[in-house]
Amino acid sequence: MSDPLTATMHIASSGLQAQSERLRVVSENLANARSTGKTAGSDPYSRKTITFESEFDRAQAAAMVKVKDIGTDKAPFVVEYEPGHPAADENGYVKMPNVNVLLELADMRETNRSYEANLKVMTQAREMVMRHIGLLRD
Amino acid sequence: MEPVYLTKLVSQSNGWLSARQAAIAENVANANTPGFKAKDIEPFTSVISKTRLAMTATHDGHMGAATDGPRATKVRKADSWMVSHSGNSVSVEQEMVKAGEVARSHSLNASLAKSFHRMYLASVK
Repeated sequence: MSDPLTATMHIASSGLQAQSERLRVVSENLANARSTGKTAGSDPYSRKTITFESEFDRAQAAAMVKVKDIGTDKAPFVVEYEPGHPAADENGYVKMPNVNVLLELADMRETNRSYEANLKVMTQAREMVMRHIGLLRD
Repeated sequence: MEPVYLTKLVSQSNGWLSARQAAIAENVANANTPGFKAKDIEPFTSVISKTRLAMTATHDGHMGAATDGPRATKVRKADSWMVSHSGNSVSVEQEMVKAGEVARSHSLNASLAKSFHRMYLASVK
């Protein structure tokens, strides 16, 4: 088994990576919150979802986290009446993406919180190492 | 046993704290993994009471007496503050509290070790 503090750094960095990937998905969803299809009656952008799974790392003998899958939300699209829109069907309805901006913002806040927690663990492990080095210093 | 075994105790305690920090890191990294169960390591007091009962090798044929380092990596299921709908039992707040405890004890150990070093050096001077 490797040094626990080195393992801590590796685990926390896997967490940071997973949370950044999550933030990327959130930003994709937010940016495409009003992206409709190009032709009449076509499907708009559908919301992306991200799932994590824990993976046992043999080198560190610890459970790391990794992105399992980036899927699409199966929720129905929101329909709006907008006859002049290029993507409107024959009745004048346009399919809008199933992205809920409030939900995405909540997800973003949660991502931020998890990222901060991982970062704090990493900073603390680093402080512990520095304290050991400080013992040798004087 | 060494006459002043406090330095050994400090280093054992630091080893235990490092192992606990690794467990905390695992929990925090998997805070959003569905079905992940929070982990913690066994308390330091139980580690210490186990390591005290090491048999001494009095013959060349005896074995197993050399392992006196703290094997504090046994993971037990933590009694968590919160279990989410997906079965994840990690509470980030609880992990932060634990991380604070680790930081406090570790800095206490470091300053203890430092003062022991000062004492040794003072006796040499």
